[in-house]
Amino acid sequence: MSDNPNASAAPPPHLRPWFYATKPTRWTRFLRTFIPWQIVRFIVINLKMMILIRRSHKGMHH
Amino acid sequence: MARIVVLGAGVAGHTASAFLRKWLPKRDEVVAVSPMAEYNWIPSNIWVGVGLLRKKQVVFPLAPVYDKAGIEFKQARAVALWPEGDAESQTPAVEIEWTRPDRRGEREKVRYDFLINATGPKLNFEATPGLGPGKHTYSVCTADHAEETARAFLEEVERMRRGERRRFVVGVGHGSCTCEGAAFEYIVNLEFELRARGVRGRAEILYLTNEYELGDFGIDGVHIKRGGYITPSKIFHESLFAERGLDWLTRAHVRQVEPGRADVLTLDGEEREVRFDFAMLLPPFRGVDMRAFNRNGEDITARLFAPNGFMKVDADYAPKPYEQWKARDWPRYYQSPAFENLFAAGIAFAPPHPISRLRTTPDGLMISPAPPRTGMPSAMIGKAVAASIVDMLRGAKKPTHAASMAEMGAACVASAGANPFTGTAASITVFPIVPDYERYPEYGRDLNYTFGEIGLAGHWIKILLHHMFLYKARLLPGWWMIPE
Repeated sequence: MSDNPNASAAPPPHLRPWFYATKPTRWTRFLRTFIPWQIVRFIVINLKMMILIRRSHKGMHH
Repeated sequence: MARIVVLGAGVAGHTASAFLRKWLPKRDEVVAVSPMAEYNWIPSNIWVGVGLLRKKQVVFPLAPVYDKAGIEFKQARAVALWPEGDAESQTPAVEIEWTRPDRRGEREKVRYDFLINATGPKLNFEATPGLGPGKHTYSVCTADHAEETARAFLEEVERMRRGERRRFVVGVGHGSCTCEGAAFEYIVNLEFELRARGVRGRAEILYLTNEYELGDFGIDGVHIKRGGYITPSKIFHESLFAERGLDWLTRAHVRQVEPGRADVLTLDGEEREVRFDFAMLLPPFRGVDMRAFNRNGEDITARLFAPNGFMKVDADYAPKPYEQWKARDWPRYYQSPAFENLFAAGIAFAPPHPISRLRTTPDGLMISPAPPRTGMPSAMIGKAVAASIVDMLRGAKKPTHAASMAEMGAACVASAGANPFTGTAASITVFPIVPDYERYPEYGRDLNYTFGEIGLAGHWIKILLHHMFLYKARLLPGWWMIPE
């Protein structure tokens, strides 16, 4: 059977709320699980979060 | 010698108890009171709810952890506060009712020098007839709820494997709910699991929410710099749902649930019927039912608590329209204005107003998300309150550590599918949580610290956080070095 999430007996795509939404390209979706790129993103996201956490903790004191 | 009583052992209460014990000398007592025997790392309940984790992987018994740490643990629920003391003693007290099987129902007054109310929410399923476990919908608010939800979900998968088409509804079960982030995580994980199990083509999935737009999450949405644009979270949220073929119904209030159907009222006053075979709808929250009495036994609950049961603290509760909401309305120290030795942390404090704009139906029914205050802010508030109490015991006249949600950021990782190679999660940071339009006039937030992206890296971080925060909560060596 089809594993396409959009394949169903429900209304056709142009009658669904998501017809007017932005959708990612194949390249964008590929990068989301492309491991070398995600290793880079893992480092970047962690750094961004650490900076945010540090800034938030600074505000805890007077 | 001082005794500090902490009501609740969730993220805020557990953090406060642990830091109080670490910072205070042994002669001071730290007493933790929780009706639950176990700690639950609630964010991972999402994975329990789709059958990926078992309950025992997201909970652990509190008693041995507290015993080892030197924290006295009373498995009981708080029923009444006596902040002026009572006829027997002028020392303030909290009245508790034991829930541990061998002492169930037994009442006791625990005297305190300082008290932190971190009781979290009461899951108010009663607000919507037919809502909740044991009735017609499921929940992932507790590990037990999530396990029950997983059983029902896996039964649905089996039906689809036999060729049946099924309709899933995930979202919130009342117009005043909060925690839309949890509903978001659950629906995308459910969709991911249906795909992984090869039955996605037989499922229709609807997201039912009280948000005005997708991506609101009770914080009025966020704006993120991406692809050369400053883009509202609505775009990203809709995009993810579009990509996965998820339908949505926003601005919705569930009036009642019957087997297989929910009666929904939308913001424009339209009545709709939403049919389902499986529904996971989160309940609205209110404060736990705790009363307060003065020394003479007269009821002073309204002095300490807001009508929704949450405890009043140093916030500006004067009613005002959305246009006049300010960052400084939000509390900084979480100290009760009535009693200086009384604090509230986490969900238990009464917010001054929502963060998202209030909206009502033509008949005046509010359909608008309540403000979230879970996870990172809860832990930071718990820690700040603990630090203030320690300083006050050392002579400070007033609280010394602030943790305003209008001055702190939050990092959130929302799972969108759990698999080490094909899974994804949305990594989001927002600063500050409550928009401050005086400091950041355009969007209310610092866009250099507000970002979001979805990818496998986010899932790895989510896994890391699951193990890291369970390690921290178990108070294992070096726990205090792990940031909130």
